[in-house]
Amino acid sequence: MIPVSIYIHIPFCVHRCAYCDFNTYAGMEKWIPSYVDALCKEITLVGNAAPQMFPVHTIFFGGGTPSFIPAIFIQKILTAIRSQFLILEEAEITLEANPGSVEPELLETLRLAGVNRLSIGMQSAVQEELSLLTRTHTPDDVKQSIRFARQAGFENINLDLMFGIPGQTMDTWKYSLDFALSLDPEHLSLYCLTVEEGTPLHQWVEKGKTIMPSEDETAEMYEFSMDYLAEFGFLQYEISNWAKPGKNGEWQMCRHNLQYWNYLPYLGFGAGAHGFFENIRTENVRAIPKYIHQINHLIAQAFPTSPANDRVLKLDFQEQMKEYMMVGLRLTHNGVQLEDFYSRFGVSLLEIFKKEINFLLSRDLIEWCNNQRNLRLTRKGKLLGNQVFIHFV
Amino acid sequence: MVIIPSLEVREMSAHIRNFCIIAHVDHGKSTLADRLLQLTGTISDRNMTEQVLDSMDLEREKGVTIKASAVRMMYTAKDGQTYELNLIDTPGHVDFNYEVSRALAACEGALLVVDATQGIEAQTLANLYLALESDLTIIPVINKIDLVSARPDEVAEELENLLGIPAHQILRISAKEGINVDQVLEAIVQYVPPPRGDIQSPLRALIFDSHYDSYKGVVAYVRVVEGVVKPSDMLRLMSTGVDVKPIEIGYFAPELKPTDHLEAGDVGYIATGLKTVRECRVGDTITHSQRPADEPLPGYQHAKPMVFAGIYPTEGEDYPNLRDALEKLQLNDASLVFEPETSQALNFGFRCGFLGLFHMEIIQERLEREYDLDIVVTAPSVEYEVVMRSGEVIRIDSPAQLPDEGLIEEIREPWMLLQIFSPTEFYGAIMDLVTKRRGIFKDQEYPATNRVQLNFEIPLSEIIVDFFDELKSRTRGFASMDYHFLDYRPGNLVKLEVLVNGEPVDALATIVHREEAYHKGQALVSKLKELIPRQLFDVAIQASASGRVISRANVKALRKDVLAKCYGGDITRKKKLLEKQKKGKKRMKMVGMVEIPQDAFFAVLRLREE
Repeated sequence: MIPVSIYIHIPFCVHRCAYCDFNTYAGMEKWIPSYVDALCKEITLVGNAAPQMFPVHTIFFGGGTPSFIPAIFIQKILTAIRSQFLILEEAEITLEANPGSVEPELLETLRLAGVNRLSIGMQSAVQEELSLLTRTHTPDDVKQSIRFARQAGFENINLDLMFGIPGQTMDTWKYSLDFALSLDPEHLSLYCLTVEEGTPLHQWVEKGKTIMPSEDETAEMYEFSMDYLAEFGFLQYEISNWAKPGKNGEWQMCRHNLQYWNYLPYLGFGAGAHGFFENIRTENVRAIPKYIHQINHLIAQAFPTSPANDRVLKLDFQEQMKEYMMVGLRLTHNGVQLEDFYSRFGVSLLEIFKKEINFLLSRDLIEWCNNQRNLRLTRKGKLLGNQVFIHFV
Repeated sequence: MVIIPSLEVREMSAHIRNFCIIAHVDHGKSTLADRLLQLTGTISDRNMTEQVLDSMDLEREKGVTIKASAVRMMYTAKDGQTYELNLIDTPGHVDFNYEVSRALAACEGALLVVDATQGIEAQTLANLYLALESDLTIIPVINKIDLVSARPDEVAEELENLLGIPAHQILRISAKEGINVDQVLEAIVQYVPPPRGDIQSPLRALIFDSHYDSYKGVVAYVRVVEGVVKPSDMLRLMSTGVDVKPIEIGYFAPELKPTDHLEAGDVGYIATGLKTVRECRVGDTITHSQRPADEPLPGYQHAKPMVFAGIYPTEGEDYPNLRDALEKLQLNDASLVFEPETSQALNFGFRCGFLGLFHMEIIQERLEREYDLDIVVTAPSVEYEVVMRSGEVIRIDSPAQLPDEGLIEEIREPWMLLQIFSPTEFYGAIMDLVTKRRGIFKDQEYPATNRVQLNFEIPLSEIIVDFFDELKSRTRGFASMDYHFLDYRPGNLVKLEVLVNGEPVDALATIVHREEAYHKGQALVSKLKELIPRQLFDVAIQASASGRVISRANVKALRKDVLAKCYGGDITRKKKLLEKQKKGKKRMKMVGMVEIPQDAFFAVLRLREE
């Protein structure tokens, strides 16, 4: 049986950053205990409705700031998961943490609870850039949190970095990359800052207070990163993700994210969490009080739905095939595998998407690899991913 | 059949007043009409939606009347007698001059409404001259006296100079506030002569407007000039010779109200059952088939389109919908012409002819708004006469139709008489604008204090794009204009072509004066460079005239376009963003391999902005 992944959403932050449009809230701390109770209840309700005890091979605590809530709650949630699911021995359990919000004690408790991977929101090593993003930590906090994490026994650490920050130059970007590399992480995620509607950053840009870097500038930063990280032995396996080989020689990719890109099942618990199981997508209500209310007052429907669902979407065959392509092509190293497509859908990828594939090949946006068994983005395609993906929506 | 009128009917015509309201745009014609309807109880206050006569939303928004309309009001005057007042509404824009002239021909009198702050304007004069040509009795009315900026004394003086009516006798009203509107009704009864016309003569009814009704066919709005018409009569349209049996006759109350007869002096309607307004043209005369009149009423003209543009559906599959929509618009608008046209760049669409640029804008907006169509409208063109080396003369209304330069002896273009009316302080600004556009100054008049009317001759092609907006901005909105066709004159004209990645884009071609080709070519190329988004490859944009490249620019290939993050497995959101992007792409036109946004096709229109 294919193991599932579980995503847990922790929508609490000490403060909301200027660019952030995630489902998270500052100043709602008093809701934390009842939220965690509801979360555990959701896990139990959905787990009970499941036709069997599913094996779980990845769990991801995202947010918000999961490191912001007391570790005991993380423990509680993991216990709830264990009671309903079979957490595999080698399961990857990731938690997102903010530098500055991690004390040695917290990290030790988390490690003991079973968390074995940390994703740290470093963003930049330049104080001015952090300030512009209204991040509350300093570059030194990053250093310290990694030291604490190592001490607590974390052997798999990711750093999130951001490029395309207003005022950032190639020099400062390289500085941030070097800073990150000097901390010797197993994994790096590099995201291009996007201006999301409704954020303070959006207002600043609209009013002309802040000027975003041009398409050419961010393209150069991205291309530089690809070449630079390769020199340091990193593999770019996804548009924004890089991994280093581990002791056993295997790439230490984020297996939880791979679940998304490989179009495999995941269950989402918590406010605004998304799930995907067989042909069903679920989306929970976003507001914390509403989430708690629905969990406590509504009755669950059939698995994999939850009383907290805001939307449940059934995908037809065509949509599934297109989505498979759309997410699979984000995997810049493996891409999509023809055989896997055939075994999933019983039809040939080349037949179904003949026109699209030929067009994208002719435009040098995708290429064959793995002895003509896989299709993936070219270097140009990585920069122009949307121009590829729009053929599959 | 001889009709013997009853005494009662004969008496009635002395109690009929047919009048119209003429005014410059925004001087308050529609508001005054509304007040008259209220005051005569034609429409109850409760049913009063503002500006009843302007029945189309678009008109209300633009503050102008597009289609004429008519309404019958019953008014008991101070003399104790009850009068039938027929108000005939006239279109308020220069493109519809012919329609205005026909509406005026249906009246004996006209209210000349002048804004108390603006004073006399170009269309006030243009319409006044039309009214005088139709021998109408003019009743000047100064409106909007309630405004703080009103200067009724000065305006009254202007009107006295213009009309010879003593300033103190001129009515001063506020239609909006209802001040002195009753005096207007009294003046109509007192000064507008009752209609004359022999009811014994063979029927002659003037069509001054029409609309299409899906049950009754074309409903002709008529003024019976002579004779009597009844629903049972067989009728004939004199210009086409078409005979019809009317479905219904009646008058406007203001809704259609059937009646058993209309007679000389009356204003009303005849529902003809005809399928298209083309068979029932404004200006035509209706007579009896059995006992036709010898002569039609004078003044009939076939309204000719002056401005042409291609209209294309953004998506090819909308072609049949666009055709249906144009056909439906044409039902009510005989002056709109169209025929299928194919463009290399835009595929299948229609070449449309309009009375003027304003008419074109209205059609464009109605297609988009009422018919929900995504369309591309190409740069407007005039109709050129091309004299070939062979001696043959051809007429073209699209740059794409222009033959090879080597075969052409001469290109002639239409010239207009342009009248601009403005406060004298903008004299220089106007002169500068017009001469830059190849206009020739003819003469000037000072019809009122501090007011000047400048008369020019100018190629039509120079005023159909942006001219009016430019005039308005240079004169802070004070100047107004009017224009009429003069003649065709030879011009030193060339075709300015745009090539995108080496392929000529026919829809972006224009015919320009040779001396301006270089400047316009450069401006066009830099505008297009702004508007054409970066694509998967470099896009070269060139402008060429007479086989020479005048200007070129490069749109660099797209460098980066990728969504970074898909948070917590939220595929749906990512998909939505991509769907939006795909939709935007679909709205663009493919020219060869290049995607060109609709905006680019308007670039030609906006060249003068910089």
